[in-house]
Amino acid sequence: MEKKQRSGFILFCIMPTLVIFSIFVVYPVSMVFYKSLFQSSGFGGNEIFVGFENFIYLFSDKTFLISLKNTGFLMLVVPVISLTLALIFASVLSFGQLREKAVYRTIFFFPSILSFVVIGILWSFIYHPNMGIVNDLLTFMGLEEFTMTWLGERSTVLWAIALVLVWQSTGYYMVMYLAGMDGVPKELYEAASIDGANSFVQFTKITIPMLWEIIRVTIIFSINGVLNISFVIVTVMTAGGPNNASEVALTYMYEQAFNNANFGYAMAIAVVVFSFSIILALISNRLTERDIQ
Amino acid sequence: MNSFLKKFFMLMVLFSLLFIVACSNTTQETQQETDNEPESSEDEDSQEPEEDTAEFENMELDVAAFEGGYGSAFWDALKSKFEEAYPGVTVNLESNPNIGDMIRPQIVGGNAPDVIYLNQTDQSGVTQGLIKDQALVDITDIFESESIDGDGLIKDKILPGALESIFMSPYGDGKVYLAPYNYTIMGLWYNNTLFEEEGIEAPTTWDEFYALQDKAEELDRSLFTYQGTNPGYLEEILIPAVYNLGGQEALDQMLIDYDPEFWNSETALEALGIFEKIANEGMLMDGTVALNHTQSQTEFMQGNSMFVPNGNWFEGEMAEAPREDGFIFGFAGVPTFDSSEDSMALASFEQVYIPKSSDNIELAKEFLKFMYTEEAVKLNGEHAEGVMAVQGAADLVQDHITESSYESFKAVEEGMYAVSGNFGPVPEGVNIEPRSILFDQVADVMNGDMSAEEWAAIMYDAYEEVQSKME
Repeated sequence: MEKKQRSGFILFCIMPTLVIFSIFVVYPVSMVFYKSLFQSSGFGGNEIFVGFENFIYLFSDKTFLISLKNTGFLMLVVPVISLTLALIFASVLSFGQLREKAVYRTIFFFPSILSFVVIGILWSFIYHPNMGIVNDLLTFMGLEEFTMTWLGERSTVLWAIALVLVWQSTGYYMVMYLAGMDGVPKELYEAASIDGANSFVQFTKITIPMLWEIIRVTIIFSINGVLNISFVIVTVMTAGGPNNASEVALTYMYEQAFNNANFGYAMAIAVVVFSFSIILALISNRLTERDIQ
Repeated sequence: MNSFLKKFFMLMVLFSLLFIVACSNTTQETQQETDNEPESSEDEDSQEPEEDTAEFENMELDVAAFEGGYGSAFWDALKSKFEEAYPGVTVNLESNPNIGDMIRPQIVGGNAPDVIYLNQTDQSGVTQGLIKDQALVDITDIFESESIDGDGLIKDKILPGALESIFMSPYGDGKVYLAPYNYTIMGLWYNNTLFEEEGIEAPTTWDEFYALQDKAEELDRSLFTYQGTNPGYLEEILIPAVYNLGGQEALDQMLIDYDPEFWNSETALEALGIFEKIANEGMLMDGTVALNHTQSQTEFMQGNSMFVPNGNWFEGEMAEAPREDGFIFGFAGVPTFDSSEDSMALASFEQVYIPKSSDNIELAKEFLKFMYTEEAVKLNGEHAEGVMAVQGAADLVQDHITESSYESFKAVEEGMYAVSGNFGPVPEGVNIEPRSILFDQVADVMNGDMSAEEWAAIMYDAYEEVQSKME
């Protein structure tokens, strides 16, 4: 009896949120799945049920496969680099004897408060082939033969974009790690140094294990962030060029939905991307699972 | 206690149901509100049937206008002139740079505006979607009717070729579904001052164009640049070139019929060869592929390249951009392959149309007729600084447009042939966009990774896929 009353009360408490959640999240998301089974222009007229045809076509669509590959590349490379860097920066700032700590913290965090569009424009000028600082610096150092059209070559464009994503997100995760490091008891480090552990061993044996739960969360955040931010950055910087070499799944979806008036197909892309990122998140969750005792 | 909870729970369910109902109601209400601005709905209440001209059943017209380079002042002016000329009529004008995204839900909800003007390059895809769905009103009768000025049929006032073009007759069945508004002229641009100083003539053939490479090297400039990450601008060269080589027949094959065999033709290979030659002989400005339209156009104006393709809006678009000393815009059109011909240009038309779901088609048609009065053409020049696709419009509005823009229109009126062509709609169920595939390849061609033949082969496959879905 007690229990029943209790769950009734809980249900009552979560009701408003549940209703709003269903209207604004569950309903639209389920519509994405539903619409992906149709061939439609997104205007209500002429909707034809095609079953899984959109999905079957997807996996023979070269542009889509390229865009999925590119998205996968960014999802793999960007989190690894930016989280590693964030960890290193955070530990240096937290344990190092730097006087300008506060300045560095601000500088590293700065990109996170800039709008993504601004970042895209900024970096497209940094990479500018004729007046960008990257090529100018190379020329200045006498490395003229290494100057390149960074965003115009198939071989460099994705790395160039990955670098922007790393630059954008490192500071954000660094601040999260800094907060986590503040919570690690100082005694652990004292004890370790008495036992003769150097700072590298302290980092790997104390800091990382103590931060493990935060790291797990940031991995998921980072994978998701890449998915979303890459859309803006690619749209602003390369529009998917050269010849789709930097197309990511979401820019391709947008193109299909809004430039090609091919809504059903775009929804099929959305479904695949959705499943793709869920699976990635699950895998990373499983791989990083540890017993904390 | 338990029964109390039960009742409470039932009440909660009831409340949430009410909430959902209320929600759906308010969304409808707000939608109507954005549709008819509040003031106009007051007008509707105060309007008594006795004071209307009884010519039209519905006296309220909803107009949605894109607010872009041409601004929205023309539509405001046209609205008041129209209301003056038709007492009792109320025009609800909604204009916004994102008008496409704003009216999309209205169209989906079956509550579409009566008249829609969207930019030709609008990103929302509304026009394209409506054409695909065959959801536009056939307005051929407007052009077959006497103009409001009383000086002949409206179709005779429109620029030749405009109504027959894919822009206005998207299905190629001889019926007009979209009304031409402003038109634009596109081709290659150069720095007039430089050409005069150096004694260079603007090229009229491709051979003359290529020959300028030596001069360009001497001047330490590249011959050509284009809007790298927006390679679609290159249609300003490709479409006239195809027309020049293969005539309207080849152009229709490429743009409307999506005939794969077109890409096996000499015409196609020779037209694509322009870009291959530019790439292979080092005529392209370094780094072009990675630049967006503003960046590449700025490079051109700063004297790093001799030519760039663009439209008559160029001078206005780049008004604030840095440029080399003495820079003056010069319009060269597009060179031809035959020395006996003058250079050509590409023309495109902005579209105004009536969606099928409009609830006031008659009045909407009257509004479109009104748009072609001389007064409206002048208003358009004054407020939008645009040139309507009406004979002699350039002279009517000369005071209001930039010099280079007037010159390009004048060049066309004086005999430079303006080809109009745009990619036709692909059939339902085609998941590729042939136009973007076509121009996406340019980057690889320019980087030297692809030949014209390979390019044509890719297009052959793409067109074959489109063809398979055509009846």
